[in-house]
Amino acid sequence: MILFTLLRHDWLKTFRARGFYKNLAVNILLGFVVLYFIAIFFALGLFLQEFLKDTAITDKTPLQVFNGITLYILLAGLAVRYMMQQLATINIQIYQILPIKRTSIINYLLFTPLLSPINYILFFTIIPFAVRSVSVDYNALTAFGFILNFFFIVCFNSLITSFIKRKFGSNFWGFFAVLAFFGIIIALEYFKIFSLFNVSGVIFDYIILNPTGLAIPFIAIVLAYLLNRWFFAQKYYAESFGKKAKTETHQNRSNLSFLNRFGVIGEIMALEMRLVWRHKRTKNLLYLLVLFLLYGLIFYTNADYANRYGFLFFCAMIMTGAVTLLFGQWLIGWNSSHFDSLMTINFPIRSYLIAHFYLMLAGNILCFILTLPYFLFGTHIAMLHISAFLFNSGVNTVLLTFFATYNTKRIDLAAKSALNYQGTTYKNFLIVFPIMFFPMIFVGIFSLFSAINTALIILSVMGVIGLLFQKQLITLCVNQFNRRKYALCEGFRQTE
Amino acid sequence: MITVNQLQKVYNGIGVLNIPNLTIQDRQSFGLVGNNGAGKTTFFRLILDLVETSYGEVLLNGQPVVRNDEWKSKVGSFLDEGFLIDFLTAEEYFNFVAKLHNISKDDLSLFLHSMEDFFNGEVLGTNKLIRDFSKGNQKKIGIAAALIGNPSYLILDEPFTALDPSSQIRLKRFLNELQSKFNITMLISSHDLNHITEVCNRIVILEKGNIVKDLQTNEDTLEELNSYFAV
Repeated sequence: MILFTLLRHDWLKTFRARGFYKNLAVNILLGFVVLYFIAIFFALGLFLQEFLKDTAITDKTPLQVFNGITLYILLAGLAVRYMMQQLATINIQIYQILPIKRTSIINYLLFTPLLSPINYILFFTIIPFAVRSVSVDYNALTAFGFILNFFFIVCFNSLITSFIKRKFGSNFWGFFAVLAFFGIIIALEYFKIFSLFNVSGVIFDYIILNPTGLAIPFIAIVLAYLLNRWFFAQKYYAESFGKKAKTETHQNRSNLSFLNRFGVIGEIMALEMRLVWRHKRTKNLLYLLVLFLLYGLIFYTNADYANRYGFLFFCAMIMTGAVTLLFGQWLIGWNSSHFDSLMTINFPIRSYLIAHFYLMLAGNILCFILTLPYFLFGTHIAMLHISAFLFNSGVNTVLLTFFATYNTKRIDLAAKSALNYQGTTYKNFLIVFPIMFFPMIFVGIFSLFSAINTALIILSVMGVIGLLFQKQLITLCVNQFNRRKYALCEGFRQTE
Repeated sequence: MITVNQLQKVYNGIGVLNIPNLTIQDRQSFGLVGNNGAGKTTFFRLILDLVETSYGEVLLNGQPVVRNDEWKSKVGSFLDEGFLIDFLTAEEYFNFVAKLHNISKDDLSLFLHSMEDFFNGEVLGTNKLIRDFSKGNQKKIGIAAALIGNPSYLILDEPFTALDPSSQIRLKRFLNELQSKFNITMLISSHDLNHITEVCNRIVILEKGNIVKDLQTNEDTLEELNSYFAV
C-alpha cells in the first residue's frame, strides 16, 4: 500500500539524515533520559493502585478513581500535544507529481504523528496498572478494554491536535490561554463548584464497564478523522497543505526602537531579539522558560528539600538564570545561518559580544524580578536567589560566552521546533554541567558544616567581581572569539 | 589597493589555492573565472577573513585583514545567502546595515530610491521576510545591502546567476555605472564569460587554485576565454 511506502520514506529520512550518526553520542544520552522516564512511569504504574487507594474516596475502586482523572489526562494530553506535536509535512511536490492518490497523502499526514514512540510512554503506567489492579478487581476483559480505551484516547488526541494546529495555528498566547484554562478547571474542582472529576468518572465508567462502551471512543476517533478530512477537502491545494494557519501578521513588525540609544550594540541586541521572536524553535524556548520559572513551586514547597541547600541553590540558579542557560548555550550558534554576514558587516567583534552580555544580563534581571514572589518562602530563599543571580550574571555569562566559541555546530533555525536538540553536541553538556553543578556541590558541601551563608557570600562575591571586571573579561572573550573565528565560520557553513 | 602575498590555502593536506603575488589596484574591476573547485570563493573568503590562511597574507590598503575590524567599513560583499540575515524584512536589513555605517534615514531612502529600477518593484514595501523572497530577489537584496555605506571595495560571487535576463542586464549596466561614477574597486566572479568581459577590465583565470591567465580586457578577450574553456 502506498501509505506504507510513504511511511518508509519518512523513516529513511530520519536515519539517512546527515548528522544522525555524527550525533550518536547525544542520541545515546537522550536514550538514557528516555529509559529513565520509562522506569519512572513503570514504577508509577506498579504502585498506582496503592496511590489511588490512599485517596480520600473510599467507596470507589482504583479504576473508578482513575476514570475520574482520565478526562484531566485527556485534556492535559491535548495541551502538551498542542505545544509539542509536530504537524507532519511531506515534501509534497515530489509526491504530488507522482501518481499517488490524494487520500493516501492525507492519511499519511494524519497518521505519521502516531508513529512516534513518545505517544505511548503512558502505557508503561497503564499496562502494569491494568494487570495488577483492573484485572484483579474486575476481569481480564475489562483490563483489556481499559488499555484499548487509552489507545483510543491517544489516537483521538493526536487527530484533534492536528486539526486544531492546522486550522488555528499555534501561537505564544495560546500557551497562556491553555495554562489559564487549566487554572480555572482546577480551581472549580477545588472550590467544589464544578467537578470535572465526576463528569469524567461517569463517562469513562460507562465506556469501560459496559460491553458496548468502547464504541464511544471509537466513534469519537472516526469523527475526529472526518473533521480532518473536512479540513483537507476545503484546503485542496498543496500550498496550504502541510502549513499551519498563518498566525503571524507580517504587517505588524515589532518595534524595538527603544534600543536605538545603545547605538551599534543596541542594533545587534534588537537583531537578536527579532531572531528569538521570529523562529519557532527559539519561541519554544520561551515556553520552556515559563516552566523553568515554576520550578520553585515544586521544590520550595516540599519539606523533603527544605534542608538540602545544594539542591535548593540549583533551583535558584535555574530560575534566576533561565534565560542565560536556555539561550546562552548556543550564544553564537543562533547566528550560524548568517554568520558570514555578521563577520563582514561593519561592526567590531567587541560590540557583538557586549550585545550578548547585555542581553543575558537583561534576561537575568527579568528572571530575578519574575521570581521575586518566591521571597515569600522566607529569607533563606531570598538569599539563595540573590546570590544565584549575582553568580549567574558575573560568572556564568562570561563562561558561557567564552565556551560558546567551541560549539561550531550549525543550528538550523528553520527546522522543527519542539524537542529539537539539533545543534546540541557533547560540548553543550561539557559547558552546562560544570556551570550548573559546581555551585550546587559547593553550596552542598558548605551546608554540611552549617556554613551555608559563607558559601552564598563567596559565590556572590565571585559574581560581583565578575561584574566589576566585565571590561577585562570581555576582552578575554574577544581574544578567544578571534582565535576560534575560522573554526566557527567553517563549522556554521556545514549544513546537515 | 588589495595586495596578496604568498597566499596559500591547504585543506587536509591538499592545496586549494596558491597565489604567490597579486595586486588589485584601486578602481580596477577585477573578474575571476574558473571551473568549479578552482578556488574562486575560497579566495574571496580569504580576503574577507572568513577562512584562515595556511600561509601568506592579504593586505587591504597595506593593512592585513586578519583579525581586524577596520576594513569592514570599506568593503561591501555578497557571496551567498549566508550573507543575508534572513529573518528580517528587506527594509529592516537595509536599516540595520545603514545604522552600522552611520548612514542617516534620508540618505538610505535616497539610496534605496536609486535602486528601485534594479529591484523592479518586487522588494521594497512588500513587508516580506528575506527568507520568503525568491533566490533572485534575495540576491538583489544582498547586492544592494553590500553597497550601503559607500564601500570602496565591492566583492560579489557569481552575481549574475539566479537573476532573470532583464535583471542581469540591469546589473551589468549598474556595475559599469558604479565604476565610472564612484570609482569603486570591484571583485567579481562569474561563470558567464560574456557578462564578465562586459563588466571587468581585468580578468584572471583560476585553475585548481593557481592563476593561469591574467588578461586586460580588450575585444579579443571573450574569444580567448572561450577557447580556453572549450572542451
